[in-house]
Amino acid sequence: MIRILSASTQMLVCGAILCVYTTPTFAADEYDYDLVHSSVSFKARHLDIGWIHGRFNDVAGKFSIDREDPSKSTFSLTIKTDSVDTANEARDKHLRQPDYFDTKQYPTIEFKSTSTKAIDGGYEVTGDFTMHGTTNKITIVLMGGKEHSFKNVKRVAFSTELALKRSDYGFDKKAIGAIGDKALIMIDCEGVRK
Amino acid sequence: MGIAAAASVVVVLVMLALSRSINETKLNVACVFGIGIGLAIGNAVLALNLSWPPRNGLDRLLMIVVPAVLGVELIAGFNRVPRVAAWLLRISLSLATPRILLNGSVYLSSSGDWTAWRAGATIVVCGLGLALVWSLLSWLSRRSGGLSISFALCLAIQCSGVAVMLAGYIKGGAAAIPFVATLLAVSLSLRMVTKHAASRVEIDKPNGFVAAGIVGVGVVSLFSLLFIGRFFGDISTGPALTILLAPLLCWTTELPPLRNRKPLFVASCRLALVAIPLLVVVIAAMREFDREMSPLLGKMSKNDGTTQQTSHRSS
Repeated sequence: MIRILSASTQMLVCGAILCVYTTPTFAADEYDYDLVHSSVSFKARHLDIGWIHGRFNDVAGKFSIDREDPSKSTFSLTIKTDSVDTANEARDKHLRQPDYFDTKQYPTIEFKSTSTKAIDGGYEVTGDFTMHGTTNKITIVLMGGKEHSFKNVKRVAFSTELALKRSDYGFDKKAIGAIGDKALIMIDCEGVRK
Repeated sequence: MGIAAAASVVVVLVMLALSRSINETKLNVACVFGIGIGLAIGNAVLALNLSWPPRNGLDRLLMIVVPAVLGVELIAGFNRVPRVAAWLLRISLSLATPRILLNGSVYLSSSGDWTAWRAGATIVVCGLGLALVWSLLSWLSRRSGGLSISFALCLAIQCSGVAVMLAGYIKGGAAAIPFVATLLAVSLSLRMVTKHAASRVEIDKPNGFVAAGIVGVGVVSLFSLLFIGRFFGDISTGPALTILLAPLLCWTTELPPLRNRKPLFVASCRLALVAIPLLVVVIAAMREFDREMSPLLGKMSKNDGTTQQTSHRSS
């Protein structure tokens, strides 16, 4: 009898241990940037009277979203400057040259979050934004973050707009004439869960 | 760029006016300082937005390569420095220049456009090309000399600037202007000194004297502007090579039928021969510019029923 009790106690202990180690803990969800359903576009003033619109066609990124502890969420985005597209090939070639993006010297624009805060309807993300070889700390408001499952693939979407001054990123101030200093960047991205 | 040219002339004339006797070393030292100060003023006037540490190829040209070539020519110009040592310095700089200009670019990064082998081969081939052009022009300047060699170099540098600019890299093209202004100014002021102060000049061929510094700075700046235009801008390899090699056409006047002609005839021949390929390249670049860039300049097609108009360059 004692032997049976002892055996059942051992089984209980082992079971408890197994339960502790196999119960899923609430880890952060990791998402890859979905290039098909996302876009990074921009607009800049032309002659201070109109706007020129453009987009970057080659973008990659990763999000890690911790629903329990949003401060542990991370966001990163890498934009290939060579993929600039303003619907005018000659202008795109010009924008790739050293007078503007200098794509052979600075092939990417990058954002890497350093801190994240949950806000109503999204996240406030602070991070390092590197463009044209200059890194500045910026804070962006990412709206969205609701998860949606479609054909067994989990997706999450965010959108944000930010305004940057090109002169803050080492662009030649003399080249800031016809094209305004301020550029608005619009990011609408979907992440696909790994 | 008048101010850069004027500064170069003043520096050369003042330095040589202070010397009782003028030998080749003194002419070269004055030339190096004249070019250096002229370029510093010229680039300051152009406000090329240079930064330290250098951010791009043009920064590296103006802040590393040009001071290096001035230093090399200053050292090489002294009589005590053996010729072999001078040429070792020049060849080392030639091989280092492409590597310096490409530093930090996609061409040299592990995830970039080129493999390590391709990057190494390109750097070596370009460096040897620079050394070859430099040595051939230096040899010609010592062999027969003449102001036309400096003029031919200036012509090529100006055309490289125009070609780079027309290909869309405006700042890179504009950087050629101070080089042309100072090299012309220094060449003419040295010529003035050797002509008007002939009694104090102690060199073999005062009329045809071309300072090694002019050839050195001229060839390295020509090569570097084209290299930057090719690898960071949008100038093609063919036009870039044509402009780089054009000054070597000055060698044509060393052929027997032309060799012993009057200096003015020889100089005219040299400049005409150099100008022909340069003109072809510039016209082709202008046509391409008109074809590709006209929408950016606001030129409307007449077929649209609108008149041609030109607004500000917009990009």
